[in-house]
Amino acid sequence: MSRHPRDRSIPNLAAAPGLNRRDFFARTGTAALAVSAAGFLLDACGGGGQSASLTSGTPYPLARPNAPVTWPVTRSDVIASGLAPEKNATLQLYNWEEYIYTKVVDAFAARYDCKVEITTFGTMDEALAKINTGQVSFDVFWPTVDVIGQLVTGKFLRPLNHSYLGNIDQVWPQFQNPFYDQGWRYTVPYTVYTTGIAYRKDHVKVNPDQLANGWSMLWNPAFKGNAMILDDYREGISLGLLKNGITDLNTTSAAQLSKAKNSLIELTSMDKVQVSNSYTAIPDDQVWVQQSWSGAVIPVTSEMPKGQSVDVVGYWFPPDGRGPVNNDTIAILSSGSNPVLAHLFLNYMLEYGNAMENFAWLGYQPPQRQITPASLVKDGLIPPNLASCTVLPSYFDVGYRELELSPSANLAWNNAWQAFTAGT
Amino acid sequence: MLAADAGLSRSKTSARGPRWLWPSLAMPGALWLAVLFLLPFYVALAVAGGTVNPLFFSPEPVWNPLSWRSVYLGQVWSDLFGAHAYLGQTVLRTLAYVVIASAICLLIAYPVAYFVARQSRHKGMYLVALVAPFWVSYMMRMLAWQNLLQNGGLVNHILTATRLITEPVSWLSGNPVTVVLGLVYGYVPYLIIVLYAGLDRIDQALLEAARDLGLGRIRTFLHVTLPLSRQVIYAGALITALPMAGDFYTNTMLSGVPTTTMIGNVISNSLSTPGQSGDGAVLVLFLLLALLAPMVWYVRSSSRAGTAGELL
Repeated sequence: MSRHPRDRSIPNLAAAPGLNRRDFFARTGTAALAVSAAGFLLDACGGGGQSASLTSGTPYPLARPNAPVTWPVTRSDVIASGLAPEKNATLQLYNWEEYIYTKVVDAFAARYDCKVEITTFGTMDEALAKINTGQVSFDVFWPTVDVIGQLVTGKFLRPLNHSYLGNIDQVWPQFQNPFYDQGWRYTVPYTVYTTGIAYRKDHVKVNPDQLANGWSMLWNPAFKGNAMILDDYREGISLGLLKNGITDLNTTSAAQLSKAKNSLIELTSMDKVQVSNSYTAIPDDQVWVQQSWSGAVIPVTSEMPKGQSVDVVGYWFPPDGRGPVNNDTIAILSSGSNPVLAHLFLNYMLEYGNAMENFAWLGYQPPQRQITPASLVKDGLIPPNLASCTVLPSYFDVGYRELELSPSANLAWNNAWQAFTAGT
Repeated sequence: MLAADAGLSRSKTSARGPRWLWPSLAMPGALWLAVLFLLPFYVALAVAGGTVNPLFFSPEPVWNPLSWRSVYLGQVWSDLFGAHAYLGQTVLRTLAYVVIASAICLLIAYPVAYFVARQSRHKGMYLVALVAPFWVSYMMRMLAWQNLLQNGGLVNHILTATRLITEPVSWLSGNPVTVVLGLVYGYVPYLIIVLYAGLDRIDQALLEAARDLGLGRIRTFLHVTLPLSRQVIYAGALITALPMAGDFYTNTMLSGVPTTTMIGNVISNSLSTPGQSGDGAVLVLFLLLALLAPMVWYVRSSSRAGTAGELL
């Protein structure tokens, strides 16, 4: 069920702007939590000499669109230009479950006369833990945007040599110099997606565009027992924030988080909302409204029961693009023994034809310049009723991104989520 | 006298084999206990009192008990009993589900086990039939139930077709009945087998004696069979209730709604959240302590029963 790249993201070590851990707990007035926070602080310190740099300073900055980050590069880690691909090699990919079309991978193996092995992980946490052991030899990895700082700081990523990556000009301009990795020193983009609401038109007669706040669509007692939200603390709490008209999806405000939590608790009592990342709930008619990723909705075309048209499925995302939007990346791990092939693989995945063939199977859209909503529908990649699943470049200008949080903010987000999921 | 005692002692020794024999027979069990219980228990303690990786926030156990910290303990304590506690309801809910599910398990399992134990023929066949559910993985069985219980599933079809209900029941949308029945379904085979093992050992002669002394079927059952099977009922109920209390999968598969969250789900969530594995470890230890109480009670009660049996 966890085949989508979004999972519980990892907290980073940077301090929340304007709100340190003590402030946060002082504001919530929770003495006991403050005890925990103090412990958390100690955890972050690691109990050793690192403490000064890890708590007072920031080992790496939090990447934000208005505060772009350029990660440091050690020249010796960059491979030379013009190298031939490794011979008799097995390129090791470390990817989410079912997050790449094996036919595309096989074609790469045939083109470069190598073998390719795919190892999968279920959560980003699990993947980072494995990489952190230093015992793995994967070449290519699919990190989410919010863990790049950790991977670079831990020296787990190999800086890219751009001479191998000519296809970068095929992607949207903002990903040729993204704020989370200025100069794309370590990553290339893989997919883009929005988080909206999938619904069954045969049951839901509400037009979310006509609601004052489309996100409140889920808060409707008519959907009792037939509503579902993502099992992801960032997405879940973000939905609660958006319901309250709060658009800072990286908020550190205890009051705002409390509002979001209370809205989710209200959703439980009103709708008996299910918390799951199920891909089949909508096609199986198990739920009528479901918070969903755009890339997860498109594959329902192949999941519909026999005899039932996909026309009954709709996907709502604010037409003006003012909603949660994000992207995933591909990077090269320094532990791999095939850096040249790894570069060639990244370039291969940026190639329009390969990216689109992968998209046809995967459902998550690559940020390719040639794509237009009309072309996707015309080429049969998206059914007309799900054209709203298309992600436009402009969404990244006006949409809201869930980005790395400071440890204190992350703890507060997690606590809010756990209080909701515990069924209080 | 002394010589006689010594002789008795020698003869006992030779009859029971060499002195090292009995402890060595316990070795596999002791090793099993050490590797699969004591070691994981110590790891849980080390995580509960440990730290986290400063970069990735993955747990970093502290092996020296003198360096253990009580931060996570304080956090969980406040979640359970503090001013903003939110776990109390989850704990009570878990307790209620486990008690109800255990009671239903017992009501189903006892007659079945009694029936099989009283059979003189085909016992093996019945036992194989009882073990049969284990041939299919638990996950597959739960997925099958998802299919059967969905809105347009077979269960709702049958119930509406027979006019027992007019509208399909939302079995999978946070229905506590489904979760409890899921627990019953998952654990009842274990209870049947334990009860069978106990009931099968009851001496038939005792039942015949009761009947000869004028007791009817029901009174024989109430005054002879039931008291003789009390210990095995306790044992069986514990064997099923303990894993039920930590179960999270049944609930995840059959509900997923926060109103049916059990403590196992909270533990699972904590352990999969970076930086919160210490909370999860403390909850595991709390659960263990809570489950230890009925276990100790059972051991004491069975040892008392054993002593009483010897006196008889």
